[in-house]
Amino acid sequence: MKKVLIIDDDVTFQLTMANKLKEGGYATVAALDGEAGLEQVKAEKPDLILLDVNMPKLDGIGFLKKLQEAYAGEKQIPVYITSNLSAIDKISEGVSLGIKGYILKSDESLDTILSGVDSTLNPRPTEYELPEAPAA
Amino acid sequence: MILLEVVTAISLILAVGGLTASIYFYVKDRTAKRVLIKREQDVSRRMFELAILKELGDRIGYSLDVQQIVDVITGSLHQFIDYSAVSYMLLGPEKVIFKMHLERSVHQRFVNDIKDRMLGSLSALLDREITKKDVKDVISGAIIVEELDEPVRSFFNIPLVIDEKVVGVLTVADTKSGLYKEEEMTILYKIIQQASKAVTSLQGVVKAEQAKVNAMVESMADGVVMTDTDYRILVANPSVHAIIGKTNKTDLTIFDFIDNLEGKFDIRGKLEESVKLNKPFKSEEVLIRDSFYKIFVFPVNANTGEGEEKNVVGGVVIFHDVTAERSIEQIREQFTSMIVHELRTPLSGINKISELLRAGAEKIAKKDYDEYVHMISADSSSMLELVNDILDVAKLEAGKFDVRKEPNDVRALVQNRYDFFKPSADDAKLMFHAVYDKQLPKEVSLDQAAIKQVMNNLISNAIKFTKADGTVEIIVAKHVKGARVADEFATIPAKASIPLPEDAFVDAPDSLLVAVSDTGPGISTAGIKELFTKFKQLDTKSETGLKGTGLGLAIVKGVIEEHGGTIGVVSEIGVGSVFYFVIPLEKASVTSAP
Repeated sequence: MKKVLIIDDDVTFQLTMANKLKEGGYATVAALDGEAGLEQVKAEKPDLILLDVNMPKLDGIGFLKKLQEAYAGEKQIPVYITSNLSAIDKISEGVSLGIKGYILKSDESLDTILSGVDSTLNPRPTEYELPEAPAA
Repeated sequence: MILLEVVTAISLILAVGGLTASIYFYVKDRTAKRVLIKREQDVSRRMFELAILKELGDRIGYSLDVQQIVDVITGSLHQFIDYSAVSYMLLGPEKVIFKMHLERSVHQRFVNDIKDRMLGSLSALLDREITKKDVKDVISGAIIVEELDEPVRSFFNIPLVIDEKVVGVLTVADTKSGLYKEEEMTILYKIIQQASKAVTSLQGVVKAEQAKVNAMVESMADGVVMTDTDYRILVANPSVHAIIGKTNKTDLTIFDFIDNLEGKFDIRGKLEESVKLNKPFKSEEVLIRDSFYKIFVFPVNANTGEGEEKNVVGGVVIFHDVTAERSIEQIREQFTSMIVHELRTPLSGINKISELLRAGAEKIAKKDYDEYVHMISADSSSMLELVNDILDVAKLEAGKFDVRKEPNDVRALVQNRYDFFKPSADDAKLMFHAVYDKQLPKEVSLDQAAIKQVMNNLISNAIKFTKADGTVEIIVAKHVKGARVADEFATIPAKASIPLPEDAFVDAPDSLLVAVSDTGPGISTAGIKELFTKFKQLDTKSETGLKGTGLGLAIVKGVIEEHGGTIGVVSEIGVGSVFYFVIPLEKASVTSAP
């Protein structure tokens, strides 16, 4: 079972998202801030991270920087930034730090976020396959 | 016309400024709003100065035309004196102007002779050699006739002196001899003297105006630079030197500007455009060396009189620093995004829960269901709290926050709040006390709901910031005019973690004094400054992990001020903080408890 780490100080989002992901067949772990998030990455080795921006102690961008430092050279864990702020500068900073995508929490339903997670962790096979060349 | 355009441009700037001010209602507390209004007034005053400046510049744009005056004199001289020719030599900016008007035809030699004599006397007067090649000739009046070979027989020379300086000579000459006797000479002297006096005093006026303009330009906070049409710098005030980072260079050239503006503003191009089209120009915000400027370019006209075409003689560039306005704008944006965030978070939480609940109650575990209901309640309360705070701030700033003062048992009010917070203080393992002064009147006139809100805010902050085993104490005292607060506290007895500043109470009348003392981490001096503005918590939030909009203390301050009181704080890093407020006791309520 693939594992998703939710780093968010908004407990409502944490719980509702976790329940939705469980429905979708994922295991979840959670952290309330960036520092706790880093510990969870180390301990739980998640397959994907949903990351809030505004958090106490260590915020989302700070978390991304430390994550890059700590796991330089290794295969990157896909990270989605989830925030209620449509902060362009944060998004672009996140993009420069290699995030997979950005989700505006208040605009997206849990279903949409789940399908985003699905598409990253369990990509469907390409729908159009080249027809095999007819045998001569 | 140009002045009109400038004035229109200025009123436009002011109108836009006014609009911005009105949408700032939630940006700053009222003190800061006053600062903002004052800034705007400053800007409008400076813009007014600018308008005057430009008008003066236009007036000074044309120098006093001495030649025109001498022309008038020479044109009317023949009414008084008889002559074949009247001529003058004037020191022009490049050449010496020689102008001769012939009343009667003369020979070329006559003209040459007078010219030589005048050159001689001008050289003598100025004590330097002036030769024919320095002179530009203009001959008018009767024609030169070769047959009339009459020499100069009468000749009279008067130096033209303005402001004690020789500027030229005026000469009358005739082919007849013995013409200029004492009488004519006196008349001529008098005329010239009068004219010279008039010009001198006019020049005084111009100089005074120029000095005024210079002083004004020198002292302006805005950078001002004036150039002629060849982009030679005529005026550059100290501010403009600082803006381009050339504080010590005296003779600035347009290249100093071009180099140091680093391509951020095409000063020469804009000057050219403005001068050519005779139109003012206003830039967007330009970042030059850590400061933001709006740059204005105006053409400078020489007023050549009514109905005549304006003659553009150069341009003025004004650098207006808008950094402060910009930082206010930034704070406003931060604040807006914080509010949006704080409102969206609980709302989207409720939204997500309802999405899950839609699956149907039977499909949800009882444990989850209970948690959802609890969360909806918590999310909606936090939103309600924020909306209420925002409304309160808006009301306070609009002056519509109604304080309904009624006699209230202040002791009961504070005790009620104490009881309310006791459980959370216990949870946080704090020593939590409330002490009351026996001198306190039974009833104090105040708005019960508003003061309750104040107490909630101060007590919850104190509990929030104090670690386990710390102490939070509420002190409710009567302050008697002129008494020392330390003495008053000693009789209660009560002891705040930091002594209150006695200076703050020197002028206080008999008042209700409430202090909330804690042994928390303390607040830095810089932090105290910003404490009562709305953004305070923005900065501390991420460090302490405590949420808050920072609106609370701004509201507290507003409420206390609406009561005619004051609020303050003393703090020491590592020792604690004491928030206190005083509300003057109204005469009727100054009766001690039995």
